[in-house]
Amino acid sequence: MKIQPKTLLTSAAGFLVAVAAWQLVATGPMAGGPLPTVTSVAVNLAAVVVTEAFWTSLATTVGIALLGLLTSAVAGIALGILVGSFEPFRYATVAVLEFLKPIPPIVILPLVVLVLGPTGQMSWFLVFLGCLLPIIMQTVDGVHDADPVARDTARSYGLKEPEILLRVVLPSAMPFIGTAIRVAAPGALIITVVAGLLGGGPGLGQSIYQAQAGGDYPTLYALVIVLGVLGMFFQGATSAVERRMLHWHESFREAAHR
Amino acid sequence: MNRKLLLWLLGAGTPVLLLLLWWATSLQSTDTFFPPLKDILQSFQQLWLFAHFQSDVLVSLGNLLLGYAMASAVGVALGFVIALVLVARNVLEPLIHFLRSIPPVALVPIFISLVGFGTEMRVFSIALAALFPTLIATVDGIRSVDSGLKDVARVYRFTTVEKVTQVYLPSAAPQIFSGLQVSLQVAFVVMIASEMLGPSQGIGAMTLLAQQSFMISDMWAGILLLGVIGFAANIVFSLIRRRVLAWYIGSRRLARSS
Amino acid sequence: MKTIFSTSRTSSAATAAQPGKNAMTEEIAPADTTSAPPRLDVSHLAKTYGMGDKARTVIEDLTFTVDAGEVVCIVGPSGVGKTTLLKCLAGLHPSSSGRAAIDGRTISGPPPEMALVFQDYNRSLMPWLTVRKNLMLPLRHLHLSAAELKERCDDALAAVGLSHAEHQYPWQLSGGMQQRVAIARALAYRPEILIMDEPFASVDAQTRFDLEDLCLKIRRDFNMTILVVTHDIDEAVYLADRVVVLGSKPARVLRIVDVDLPAPRDQITTRSLPEFARQRTDVLSLIKRPA
Repeated sequence: MKIQPKTLLTSAAGFLVAVAAWQLVATGPMAGGPLPTVTSVAVNLAAVVVTEAFWTSLATTVGIALLGLLTSAVAGIALGILVGSFEPFRYATVAVLEFLKPIPPIVILPLVVLVLGPTGQMSWFLVFLGCLLPIIMQTVDGVHDADPVARDTARSYGLKEPEILLRVVLPSAMPFIGTAIRVAAPGALIITVVAGLLGGGPGLGQSIYQAQAGGDYPTLYALVIVLGVLGMFFQGATSAVERRMLHWHESFREAAHR
Repeated sequence: MNRKLLLWLLGAGTPVLLLLLWWATSLQSTDTFFPPLKDILQSFQQLWLFAHFQSDVLVSLGNLLLGYAMASAVGVALGFVIALVLVARNVLEPLIHFLRSIPPVALVPIFISLVGFGTEMRVFSIALAALFPTLIATVDGIRSVDSGLKDVARVYRFTTVEKVTQVYLPSAAPQIFSGLQVSLQVAFVVMIASEMLGPSQGIGAMTLLAQQSFMISDMWAGILLLGVIGFAANIVFSLIRRRVLAWYIGSRRLARSS
Repeated sequence: MKTIFSTSRTSSAATAAQPGKNAMTEEIAPADTTSAPPRLDVSHLAKTYGMGDKARTVIEDLTFTVDAGEVVCIVGPSGVGKTTLLKCLAGLHPSSSGRAAIDGRTISGPPPEMALVFQDYNRSLMPWLTVRKNLMLPLRHLHLSAAELKERCDDALAAVGLSHAEHQYPWQLSGGMQQRVAIARALAYRPEILIMDEPFASVDAQTRFDLEDLCLKIRRDFNMTILVVTHDIDEAVYLADRVVVLGSKPARVLRIVDVDLPAPRDQITTRSLPEFARQRTDVLSLIKRPA
């Protein structure tokens, strides 16, 4: 579907009005207060993005998020297939997983900071834990969704169990895993920021904390804007990757026809 | 049948076994970071039952509920407006897409800078961060209301109020509820974050304080309580969902089994 | 029997009126169609989607009428634009030119005296409401007393034979039962004109016969004017007093066929009449013939 120029225009107008309102409030009723003006934030943003320190912390943030996501994907898929394929494992873990699922990693942040210190390792570990559970659970669902007919066919052709897992079960679980990773990806970024903001881990979260603690509000806003853009980019990139990897799957075929 | 019973025992038994294992292996623990479970439970009882119950636990839960309720009400209402009013959609959608991409916790420093460390800051942070999942799910849910149902509403000349309350709202309810569930988790995370960044009130603040002053079993007690709250909130939510969406859950189960 | 065959359409409608409740039909049904204005008047109706190069004319210059108390069927090959026509009549789509009118009033929005039974029963019932609540939903803004509300629902459910299922959800019922719920909802609304869009297309053959007879029973019991769109020629001939045969594309009226079959109609005896075979062959040859 093409975006009509008129729609684009109203959207741009909406954005401009919001920015103008911000500027008006910041220069009018809240002048001199904690709300920085748009111009000062813009100037700060321009000044910040040319520093090396900014790019280092940006790269650190993205690096930790991606590494955490990647490692939890590998571990999560492996554990998910294990749990999904063997009934005793599934029964043994279901209660534990269901208990842990709704508990966000921020809960154990104090402990992890205590043990690992305010380090990149600490941030990575929180991201890893935070993304692990949803990926495990989606993989388990995916394994269960595997077509039993395809499984039996493979077995009748004399494929061994590990081969069946690799060639039949895993591919059919891929859409579930893809969805899980797509859903987890923005989470990975969020947890990295949380770990920096609250646990002192390196990256943009830490920069935000420093800006807030130092009362440097224009920088604080500039960094939050950067995070928003980064978040949008993360979401866009992960859905693009998912689409590319799963182009054969039905839900995307349907979407393509629309 | 016997095998089923065995599997069931395995499911119920594993968590109990894990707890017992934790209790037994930590009993003689001298590790500073991992105190005996016995000590942790003692701290739990001393801290939360009931010395800090009113001053911290109730305050935290109150903020959580208030912020979440605001987010839910505004999210659903605004979602309706955006989904049904074309101009509102064009103007607001890009803005919302940007705002929701900002890691919710990163908004907390901004609120601190704007309204200080008080209760308002926490409630607003929770409300704003939790707004977006519900809002976006509501918009999606209303846009996917079946055109057949809309035709029925028109043919039988439903009033606008009837269309909204009798057709759109129930029809979008499954999606709204999944948005509300994500919002609840975000609200919980931001509740903890706002307490950890703010002054010394609330469960999150107590937990972080205990960590910083090296009262390790107190910190563990805080983590335990937060975990239980996260889990319990999810359970309560699921119970309400199961009640409200009984028709949806029933029809889905029927569709799957056939 | 021979005498009945030769009677005119209006007199056969009068024969259909049975003693008791149905005597009403006799009084209200016009004795002569030329003196009373048609209930539903469609004249030179056309519908075009899109503009300029992309313009696609779905309906071109349709003209026909439906008299009070009549059952009229519209048949035509699938994809001819029958659903578009109904949506124009129901006031859901505006027509591009020409007009459709009820009792002389041009239809510009959903008319209050009309109810519509949709083709997709599973997309027209509210899945979150029980059968009875589905029936009650359109009645909310009619401000009826509780007693009347109950009576209307009870009557409608009894008419379609679903009194026992009132507390079930639509998705717990079979397709045929769901379509009966949709019909019952229309009945409880007590419309004067009932429009049905391929109402029996997605149910099995036995249910289909039952629903067809239900349709005729409704006409007798509730004195409704009924317009049914179908692609099934046998069904059209069986149900209708008149059949409007549409040709494609765009849709236009090929011919309007008067069906002079005796009443009350019966699935076995009516369908085995030579007259029935002749009528359906007439209609079929109209549709089959290359336009």
